[in-house]
Amino acid sequence: MRKAAAVLGVIVAALLVQQNALAGPEEDRLAFVAYFESRFPEIPFAQFANGIYAIDSDARKQWLEIEEFPPYEFAVERGNELWHKALPDGQMLADCFAAELPDIRGQFPRFDVASGEVITLEVAINDCRIEHNQPSLAYDSSEMIDLTAYLAFEARGTKVDIRVPEDQPGALAAYESGKRFYYSKRGQLNFACADCHVASAGQWVRADRLSASIGHTTHFPVYRSKLGGMISLQKRFAGCIRDVRAKPFELQSTQYRNLEYFLSYMSNGLEWNGPGARK
Amino acid sequence: MLIMALIALAGCSTEFERRFDEAERLRAEAAAAGSEWLETVSLLEQAQQAASRDDLDTAMELVERARFQAEMAVKQAAHEAETWTGRVVK
Repeated sequence: MRKAAAVLGVIVAALLVQQNALAGPEEDRLAFVAYFESRFPEIPFAQFANGIYAIDSDARKQWLEIEEFPPYEFAVERGNELWHKALPDGQMLADCFAAELPDIRGQFPRFDVASGEVITLEVAINDCRIEHNQPSLAYDSSEMIDLTAYLAFEARGTKVDIRVPEDQPGALAAYESGKRFYYSKRGQLNFACADCHVASAGQWVRADRLSASIGHTTHFPVYRSKLGGMISLQKRFAGCIRDVRAKPFELQSTQYRNLEYFLSYMSNGLEWNGPGARK
Repeated sequence: MLIMALIALAGCSTEFERRFDEAERLRAEAAAAGSEWLETVSLLEQAQQAASRDDLDTAMELVERARFQAEMAVKQAAHEAETWTGRVVK
């Protein structure tokens, strides 16, 4: 009898673990937020949008000084010009987006039922160009970075509100795929994204501290001082993957788009505050 | 004597090709699982270059490193498929 009860207990525990792992997006997000608020009780929720500068006060001081003459300003200006330049057929990029300018950034990433895929802002821009018989932009081209920097700037102050519609199984599958990617170890160093940005958030890695994942997606593209230029969120993903000595995926691959979908959902409720400046 | 040396060399070359194919098969398996490591392709390319200049000792060493990496990447993917949920924030 006691043995049967023990076996039953193990089965129930296993089911609970499985259920937690497969919790819905909103349960995931609430647990995510609660975890970081517990780890960093002195940091107001809204500050997580500032990444490591919410955690590291010395780095924050330097960052605030950098923000007095923002190094991403030129990208925003160029993006403004590109956005308002008519395409050869006389149409504007804005005509492809069913939203006012400040709300365009916040529409992405979203799940597209027709294609069965996550559409990011970069993919949407290229889809628009193709629709108007223009060649796609390379995802790490200066034109693409400038356009997304401008749209990020215009979105400042609006809230992240990414949706994973319950009536769209494909959306949930894409979200779950991104979640699995985030929590899976990879590469020769055997690290998951979560190993650094959940379990070790705030810890030192050589001369830098690891940022918390909540808020990771709110402020891209960013100007990186060490590179002397702007990079996209997915370029940063690729950098992390390379750092753990795994082979990076292509920019805007299904893997990265699903990861962006998951991580963006985790930042719901924070403000869009891109473009940003980082070391 | 010369014929025996040539036969031995041909045997090494065949063995290299067998190991190369095995390493490449494992690398492709790791890639299909989204778990390929950073250096594996580079090691395979270096192994081929060494073999093409008849430096079979180096070629064998490089292909073995590539095979080991690919095998570990495949095992890593299989292990993570079973264990990643344990890392989810609850």
